[in-house]
Amino acid sequence: MANDESWFGKFVNELHEKPWFKCAGAWTLVPIWARLTPVKPLPGGVRPSIQPGDNLQSMMNLIMPLKTENRSPIGRAAAALAIAKNRDQIFAGLDNVGTVHFARFVIVNDNICMFSVYDGDFTNYIRDFIATIGSAFNDVVKLVEGGDAVTPCEENVEAFIQWIHEHDLYQVPDTPTDFLRDQEYLEGDKAVSPVNDDLTLLPRKLVLQLRANKNVSLGSGYRAYPGYSVAQVRKQLQLGW
Amino acid sequence: MVDKSTAKRLVDEMISNLPKHNRQQRPVHTIGVGVDAYFTASDVARKFCIAEHFSGERICAKVRFSNASGGPEQHDGWNDVRGMATRFLLPSGAATDLIATTLREFFARNVEDFFEFTKLDKHKPYRRESPWRKILDMLQLKIPRRDPYPGEETNASAGILNYANRHRFAQLGVAEFKKIGAPVSYARAAYHAIHTFIVEGENEVRRPVRFSWQPVAGVGNTNPDAPPVDDYLRQELEGRLQRWPARFVLMMTIGEAGDAIDDPTRPWPARRVRIVMGTLTLTGVPEDQATAGEQISFNPLRLVRGIEPSADPILHARRDAYEVSREMRGGTACPFSHRSCADGE
Ligand code: HEM
Repeated sequence: MANDESWFGKFVNELHEKPWFKCAGAWTLVPIWARLTPVKPLPGGVRPSIQPGDNLQSMMNLIMPLKTENRSPIGRAAAALAIAKNRDQIFAGLDNVGTVHFARFVIVNDNICMFSVYDGDFTNYIRDFIATIGSAFNDVVKLVEGGDAVTPCEENVEAFIQWIHEHDLYQVPDTPTDFLRDQEYLEGDKAVSPVNDDLTLLPRKLVLQLRANKNVSLGSGYRAYPGYSVAQVRKQLQLGW
Repeated sequence: MVDKSTAKRLVDEMISNLPKHNRQQRPVHTIGVGVDAYFTASDVARKFCIAEHFSGERICAKVRFSNASGGPEQHDGWNDVRGMATRFLLPSGAATDLIATTLREFFARNVEDFFEFTKLDKHKPYRRESPWRKILDMLQLKIPRRDPYPGEETNASAGILNYANRHRFAQLGVAEFKKIGAPVSYARAAYHAIHTFIVEGENEVRRPVRFSWQPVAGVGNTNPDAPPVDDYLRQELEGRLQRWPARFVLMMTIGEAGDAIDDPTRPWPARRVRIVMGTLTLTGVPEDQATAGEQISFNPLRLVRGIEPSADPILHARRDAYEVSREMRGGTACPFSHRSCADGE
C-alpha cells in the first residue's frame, strides 16, 4: 500500500497471487497443518432449530457420486434418463408433498446432484418423498455409489434418510464466527468469555475444513421472501390447496 | 439507562483514547457531511408501524454520513466503519432519529464490556511487518497483517484483536470491522441500526424489529490494494446529488421468539421476514455544513409513538452519552420544530 517498500517486500506482498505459490501451499502446507491440527468434517444439512423462520425454505444440497462404471457419458445419460422418465412422478410428488419450493437435478462432473428448497423437518420431507416418488429415487440412487445398500428406499426408509443426510452438504454459515462456533460445538466447547482464541487462525480453519469437506454450500441462502412457506405463497397467490 | 456520571465516563474514555481531539467536535464519527433528504413510507409500512413517519406522507429528513473514527484527521479511504444518522422531521413538529452504521453487530453487550474494550482500544505504533514475518504468517496459513496506510503511524488494531480473542461475543463485530474497507460513496453502503426496537403496528400488534438502509445504487467498496484517497466522499456525494438524487430503502426485519433482542452483538438469521418500510431520497448537500453536519446532534432514543427501545443496555447507555457529548462540543439541542426541505417545502 505504502510505496516505500523494498523489492523483497513487494515480492512477498504479491506472493499469495502467484500460481506456483498457491500450488506449493496446497500440496505442502495444507497437508502438514491438517496433520498437526486435525479437523473433523462438519455435518451437512440445516441446523436443528425450533424457530419457525428457520424451518422454512431450508436448503438440501445432495451430491451423489456416480458408481465407477457410470462415470462416463453413458452413465451420465442413464442418470439424465432416470430423471426424465420420472417427470410425471416428480411433479405429482411435488404437488402432493406440498412443502417444496423448488427442486433441481444437476449433473456436475460425475455426480448427480439434487438441490431443493423445502419447508419443515428434513426427515419428514424425505419420508414424504419416499412415499410419493420412491421409485423415481430408486432409479437414480441405484446408479450412485453406495446406493444399492439403501434401495429400494420404500423398504429401507430410515437407512435411506440417513444416507441422504450424509450426502447433504455442510452449509457454511453466513458469518465467520458462526463457522468458528460450529467447529467449537463439534468439539464440545461452548465458552463465551473469557477465552484464549486466536482470530488470525480463521483462514487456516476454513482451509482445513474445506479440505475435510470438499463440497460445501455457502451461506444460508439468499431469499427474496424469507419466512414464508410454500403453502402461504400458494394461498396468497390463490393457486389452490 | 445509565446515570450521567457513567455517560460522562463513557465519553471521557472515548476521548482519552484519541491521539488528537478537538473539543468542538464529536469524539467519534468526527468527520462527516450533512445532507438534505425526504422519506416516503411504503404502502405496507403503516400496517407494521404506526409511527408518524410511516403514515405515507412525504417526510423531510436530515442525514449525516460519517467516518466512525474519532479525531480531526480525515482518511476517507482507510478501512473504517461509516455512519448514517437520519432525523425524520415529522408533520406534527416532533422529530425522531435512526442511527445506523455499516457494521452489522456491535462488539460490546453492555456498558461493562464497553469499558473493558476502551481499556484495550489504545493507539499503539503501527509498523509494516517485515517480509520474513509475513512469510512466517503464510507458512502458518494466516493472512499477514496489512501494511500501514501512508501516514498511518498508530492504530488500535492490536488491542481490538486482543479483546476479541478473549470474548467470543465480540468476535463478529471485530472480524467484520477488520475487512469493512471504504465505500466508493456514502450512497453505496448498507447501514444497520444494530439494536432491536419494538414497533407497534395495526391492531396494537407489537413486534421486535431491526432496521437497515439498503442503497438503491448498490453496495460498492474501493480497491483495498490501491493507495487510499483521504478526501473524496463529500465531493463524490455532492457531484452525485447534483446529477440525480440518491436513494436508500429502509428494510425492517422482524425477529422471532428466541432471537437476541437485548444483545447488539448477536445477529439475527438471514431467514427472518423483511419488510420494505420506505424510501429515503437524498436531494443535496447544503452549503451550511456548520448547521447540517457539525451542530446537529442525533440520539438513538429520540423516538416517537409506535417505536420503543428494547431493553438493550447499550442502546439505553447511548441516550445520555450522546447528550453529554453534544453538551461538551456545543452541539445544537434537539431542534424539534426545525424544518426545511432541500426542495423548498
Ligand atoms: C456504548 C456504546 C456507544 C457509545 C458510548 C457511543 C458514543 C457516541 C458518541 C459520544 C457520539 C457523538 C455524539 C455527538 O456528539 O453528537 C456518537 C456518534 C455516533 N454513533 Fe455512537 N456510541 C455507541 C454505540 C453506537 C452504536 C451501537 C452505533 C450503531 C448504530 C453507533 C453509531 C453512531 C453514529 C452513526 C454516530 C454519528 C452520529 C452523527 O453523525 O452525529 N454508536 N457515538
